[in-house]
Amino acid sequence: MQQDKEYVGFACAYTPLALIHAAGFIPYRVLPMGDFPDRAGLVLHDNLCPHVKRILDRAMDNNLPALRGMVFMNSCDSMRRLYDAWQRERPDIESAIIDLPMTMDDPAVHFFSSELERLAGILKSWDGETVSEDKLAASMAQYDRIGRSFARLRKDAGNGTLGMGAGALQGLYNQASMQAPEDTIELLEKNTASPPPGAAGMGGVPVFIFGNILPNPEAFDLFESCGARVVGDDLCTGSRLFTELSSSPGDDITSRYAGALLRRRPCARTMDVRNPGSFAAGIIEQAKNSGALGVIGHTAKFCDPYIARIPHLRQKLREAGLPFIMLEGDCTLRSIGQQRTRIEAFIEMLR
Amino acid sequence: MKQYFKNLESGLSAAIQNGQSSPRKLYALEIARLGARLYSGVDMVSWCGIYAPFEILNAMGVTSCFVEFIGAMVASTGTVGPMIEETDHIGYSSDACSYHRAVTGAAIKGLMPVPAFLVGSTSPCTGGVAVIENLAAHFKKPLYLLQIPQDFTENNIRYLASQFRDMAAFIKKSTGVVLDNAALTTSVKNSNRARELLLEIYRLAASRPSPVSSKDLANFGIVLSLLFGTEEAVRLAESYRDEFSRRVQAGKSGVPKEKIRLLWIQNRIQFKHPIETMLADEYGAAIVCDELNDVTWDPIDPDDPYEGIARRCLSIPFNGTIENRVKHLQKLAKDYAIDGAINPCNWGCRQGTGARGLIEEGLKKVGVPVLNLEVDCVDSRKFTEGQFRTRIEAFMEMLDQRPSPWSQG
Repeated sequence: MQQDKEYVGFACAYTPLALIHAAGFIPYRVLPMGDFPDRAGLVLHDNLCPHVKRILDRAMDNNLPALRGMVFMNSCDSMRRLYDAWQRERPDIESAIIDLPMTMDDPAVHFFSSELERLAGILKSWDGETVSEDKLAASMAQYDRIGRSFARLRKDAGNGTLGMGAGALQGLYNQASMQAPEDTIELLEKNTASPPPGAAGMGGVPVFIFGNILPNPEAFDLFESCGARVVGDDLCTGSRLFTELSSSPGDDITSRYAGALLRRRPCARTMDVRNPGSFAAGIIEQAKNSGALGVIGHTAKFCDPYIARIPHLRQKLREAGLPFIMLEGDCTLRSIGQQRTRIEAFIEMLR
Repeated sequence: MKQYFKNLESGLSAAIQNGQSSPRKLYALEIARLGARLYSGVDMVSWCGIYAPFEILNAMGVTSCFVEFIGAMVASTGTVGPMIEETDHIGYSSDACSYHRAVTGAAIKGLMPVPAFLVGSTSPCTGGVAVIENLAAHFKKPLYLLQIPQDFTENNIRYLASQFRDMAAFIKKSTGVVLDNAALTTSVKNSNRARELLLEIYRLAASRPSPVSSKDLANFGIVLSLLFGTEEAVRLAESYRDEFSRRVQAGKSGVPKEKIRLLWIQNRIQFKHPIETMLADEYGAAIVCDELNDVTWDPIDPDDPYEGIARRCLSIPFNGTIENRVKHLQKLAKDYAIDGAINPCNWGCRQGTGARGLIEEGLKKVGVPVLNLEVDCVDSRKFTEGQFRTRIEAFMEMLDQRPSPWSQG
């Protein structure tokens, strides 16, 4: 265990984990999970996404490990408001917000690279280490190794040979997002070494899940208990955080890292301006490649980037012949539990 | 729509020529003319985000408009219901902003002119960007996205300025229209002139009593930005300046027997409603200041327009942390000697109303209480007049019984 290092919190899948790690910290994802009073409404409007409100609830309830700082990405309106509220509620934990372009073109990558350099300076001011090229390269390699391990697990899930249920895989994602990469590498090597026979969920109906925040392993257990087998995902709290980064051109390693982060599989808030509406095509391609018979969308309520893109996606999925069910949640198991009947009916329809 | 705007334009022109001119009529006339150009079928049209550089677009002869304008327009004309229902039919969540749902519905119904291209902006809101992308896909037209950084730093100014240059090149590539430097210089000079006039208008509006009636400057600052760079913007601003000067010199208040001075936070309610009249008639309360009516930027250097426009964009308090916005609201409250503020908290607006608690707290620190309403500023079908009346009455009675926070000097 890397117990000598301090945690730096984060809340978005675009967070440059390797940079934080290279600065000598352990990136710790503040997941919207746990048992704490609902008090964020005192500061933030009811129509804000429950992801940010649950994180704020955790902060207000001091339901956090000791954090040296908190890094927010300027990914959406709600995340900006969370940053505002965080500063009010937890001024004792230093925080920073990093601009995150919505496109992936070269000027956007160049700008994002300058933002990463700014973050490196902030981390240094938090008593971190200077981020050298070597250190960043080493951290990136570690996270890429994790990405490859998770890719193997996802492939096994797709083949029906994963030695665990989708809930257990989600548990690994969660654990990996809250500990040092060295520990995750060790953890994943244990889990990928010898999958036991009789993989869980083998007989289920293959489905692809996309959306934003769905960290609760029990939610995946629920899908499987309804007869589904999760063969792929595109979730902020799932595969999107742990994917091997593609190589990206750049004059220096920070530029290459910035390009790789921005150009990896996008969340709905990022767009390819040369091809407006391509978010739908990306989901359909992933769903087809996974062998899914149907697609489950699950988003936290009030998420504008997804709200705006779902109608177009729904139409394109229909045209592609992929049945689709859309679920909304509030980052509690209760909200998804209430949708069991709909999920069961959907899976039954796919059989 | 084309006929609607033509009729509106001709009706207003006739009234003005018959001596019934007022700044608000001239304002409405400019909106009608903009609408007529948008729907002419002749003008080159661009649908934009709110932060689009209209000086540049106007200098290029492109009739440009942020999409929220359409949402406000269909609300004000009482035709918003069918537009929003159209989005219900395609599964657009009712949790989304009704400005954006109305625009989307209008596009589906074929009531939005086909643009030559679109220019999105990542500020002020994520929902707006998503709608611009959807419209680009719907119309199958090229899209340019302006990334608006959050902080006012030299690096960010340079980045945004470079995007404005790229945008002009994108427009040239998409349409063949070339940006003429002399036209841009003229546009920037007009914009600077309008800025000077706005400063005068707002200074006059802050007078005690204020020459502003609650409706005089509704939506003024944000709509005027569509005309930045044009002579029409200058003429319109001059008419307001002159009218307010006359009223101030005559000691004439916009709301008779002004008693309570109000600050309106973010957007007005766009459909017809009785709140402003009720405030004025029953409580002597005047909305003397709107949050969106302010000049936060320096004059733009005509020799370096891109950087100047970038500085203006980044100066807008909706950028950055809520601290910027709260400080701005506190400044407005002081400048206008505000007694109380009304925040409509438009349902579906994550960026605007998300931090209502922090805004309320910030204004409370300078002694200004805030009435947070829960209203959909576009969808009149959700408006519950009785509930609003009760809450406003209570707020006004409270304000009436407390001394002005500024009475101690």
